[in-house]
Amino acid sequence: MSHRCLVPASGFALAAAVVWLSTIPAAGQARPAGARTTGSQATAYTAPRTPDGQPDLQGFWTNATYTPLERPKNVTKEFYTREEALEIAKRAASQEAEQTEPGTVADVHYDFTQFGLDKSQGAMALNLRTSLIVDPPEGRLPPLSAEGTRRAAERDAARKSRGGPHDAVQNEPLSARCIRMDRNGPPMLGGAYNNTYQIMQTPGQVMILTEMLHEARIVPLDGRPHLPPNVRQWAGSYRGHWEGQTLVIDTTNLTDKFAFQGASENMHLTERFTRVDAETIRYQFTVEDPSTWTRPWSAEVLWKKDIGPIFEHACHEGNYGLYNTLAGARAEEKRAAEEAAKKKSPK
Amino acid sequence: MRTRQAVATGVAVGLLLAAAPILAHHAFSAEFDINKPFKLRGTLTKWEMINPHSWFHLDVKDEGGTLVPWMIEGGSPNQLMKQGVTKNSLAAGTELVIEGYQAKDGTNKGVGRNLVLADGRRLFIGSNEK
Repeated sequence: MSHRCLVPASGFALAAAVVWLSTIPAAGQARPAGARTTGSQATAYTAPRTPDGQPDLQGFWTNATYTPLERPKNVTKEFYTREEALEIAKRAASQEAEQTEPGTVADVHYDFTQFGLDKSQGAMALNLRTSLIVDPPEGRLPPLSAEGTRRAAERDAARKSRGGPHDAVQNEPLSARCIRMDRNGPPMLGGAYNNTYQIMQTPGQVMILTEMLHEARIVPLDGRPHLPPNVRQWAGSYRGHWEGQTLVIDTTNLTDKFAFQGASENMHLTERFTRVDAETIRYQFTVEDPSTWTRPWSAEVLWKKDIGPIFEHACHEGNYGLYNTLAGARAEEKRAAEEAAKKKSPK
Repeated sequence: MRTRQAVATGVAVGLLLAAAPILAHHAFSAEFDINKPFKLRGTLTKWEMINPHSWFHLDVKDEGGTLVPWMIEGGSPNQLMKQGVTKNSLAAGTELVIEGYQAKDGTNKGVGRNLVLADGRRLFIGSNEK
């Protein structure tokens, strides 16, 4: 009997997840199936106002979700019923709880349930959508344009020319190097854990702090023009304005280093934040990049109220993992070289 | 009695491929060795509550009775702190049993797959009270 069996960890987490999932409301979903991202959807809810009169988006929020970006191929509808969505979330939570079989590659990891990292142990909005992508209506990324296909092949070739994934620190993914995560985006999409954001507002600016990797986008609302086109940034040039109750952020001047879903630096992003009830923000975004996709596409994520404060994510300071990964690769090479030498000259 | 080592060496390739992918900060299988599973019992000397991962420093008695320092990687501290697990609730001096895998470079570092208090209680149990 393995030691792990002494502790009914996954059983407890699963039971807890079931209790929790049965209590979460299907926020922001009381609207007709087929509704599209327009940014001007009527909502019965009137958000509270900041002292200077802006709709108040302030506080801590999480975009944790089990809803995939693209609709699973065997699903044809846009929305699940509440019962179906609960069942799917319950199943996903149990898979997170059980994690992996001892002795498998995926088991070489810490147990999410033991660190409160599985989504069932935090706040999460129940999304009835079968995909985060709402347009195209089939819920999947549009086809790549000819240029997009060519660039994807070029990027792949360039990656291979740099050698193996652990040959050099520059070959490690941006996330392992504490440079960029999906949580940052833009657009901001949740990951496996630490999907927390803080929004603060002043009369002229909105600040969006991403927990992982501790990045603040301070978005001006004064109508100033975008940065000159030659200035390229990880988060681009971002300018905000209000359309009724919806905060709209327009982003250009991105870099192709992040390449969201394979996008080019020409990607034009429009994000929309609408508070749909006391506990939920509807976050919508539209990606326009003709040099990558044959048509624009849009997605929608529900952000749920969370608790703060956000713990500092000083990623570089604690990034022992990067060193260990490279050291592990060098140790593997040494071992392989020694074995090869042994085979060559057996004693 | 089934040991983790036996499972590790007997596992089928198909099972490896079927294992659920974990979207995390870095490639754990590059950092830690699937063929070096361990079960350590030791005393917590320091808990580095840092991102992207927490690190537990333990003194572990080897077969000769000598205390050997180990460093164990765990999940990021953010969610633990939100749920009330802090340096005070998991203080230095706490005895822990940790199952995990050792670093590929052979040093006394590992990933803490499961962390359990010496009396069998889990380090952290999920709570949905908000």
